[in-house]
Amino acid sequence: MNKLLKGELESAFKDVLVNILEETRLTATAPKDAVLSILSFLKNKGYDHLALISCVDWIEEKEFELVYVLTSYSEKDRKEHIILKTRILRKKPEFKTVISVFKNAEPYERELHELFGINFEGNERLTPLFLERDYKIPPFRKDFDTREYVKETFDKIPFVEEEKE
Amino acid sequence: MDRNQIMKWFKQPHEMSQKYSLWVVYFCTGCGIIEIPPVITSRWDAERFGVIPVATPRQANLFLITGYVSVKTLGAIIRTYEQMSAPKYTVGFGSCPINGGMYWDSYNTIKHLDKYIPVDGWIAGCMPRPEAIFVAVTHLWTMIDKGMATGYIKYKEKYKSYRRNQEKALGKLEWPPLYSMEGKDE
Repeated sequence: MNKLLKGELESAFKDVLVNILEETRLTATAPKDAVLSILSFLKNKGYDHLALISCVDWIEEKEFELVYVLTSYSEKDRKEHIILKTRILRKKPEFKTVISVFKNAEPYERELHELFGINFEGNERLTPLFLERDYKIPPFRKDFDTREYVKETFDKIPFVEEEKE
Repeated sequence: MDRNQIMKWFKQPHEMSQKYSLWVVYFCTGCGIIEIPPVITSRWDAERFGVIPVATPRQANLFLITGYVSVKTLGAIIRTYEQMSAPKYTVGFGSCPINGGMYWDSYNTIKHLDKYIPVDGWIAGCMPRPEAIFVAVTHLWTMIDKGMATGYIKYKEKYKSYRRNQEKALGKLEWPPLYSMEGKDE
């Protein structure tokens, strides 16, 4: 099943690097223009569940890596997890939304927008999701200094003194 | 029950009933809540100590903060605490509410809970054993007897300072002040 899919992917798309990690795990690295068409291709193959969109901050290479994890619910013989990776520039953190293929991508993209500052073109609901405070740099980026932030905000709040009259 | 205090209980029976029925808000703050199901069920049976979880904060008078407090949770904690009826006691459970614990340099957890609401006692450890809750409860009894568990009175007196700290952490608060905002600012 794995090798079949690898062949299919590599023949349908040019610049896709497919790697079989385990019996049930398969990674594909693709350029960012091809992501949407690969996702719809895989959806037609039966991988109808987008389990997760994640992001890795490669600060030395000045790139963000977006990770899409796909599984299948509808077809029982397709047990693989497909991990689709693509890279975007750190300077210009913009990418197209995949809501047109997978509707449940919306909250994942909101999360990445909030924690990494990536702007998903076409997603109209990039509003705050978890965080209550404002951050100058999105807090999950590697150049966000948490220790400095804690010193400046939470540590500066004074204790309510007990004995002072 | 302490036999020496029987006369005191006859004079002020409500104090005994408050002391021996500490009802807990069933409020899951963090990972510490995993210790609560064994505590309230038959294995450790907290009802021996008069501790039972209740559905709403308006019926409760013991507030267990079980775990790390994120900024968003802090808002819910303050709201819950202000809804509880006096006398109310707060106990921080685990090392995270004391000083941040393993989240001491996290971007989104508050480090010292007693900056925002008064805390009567702490249970240290990560995780504390369920027995630690009973140690805390019996300790709280002694504190109530001696008049040391006065967090809720302090909250009323120093409300201005608490409210100021809450606003520093959360920005503008959505609810009106519980007590009068007049008073000394420290």
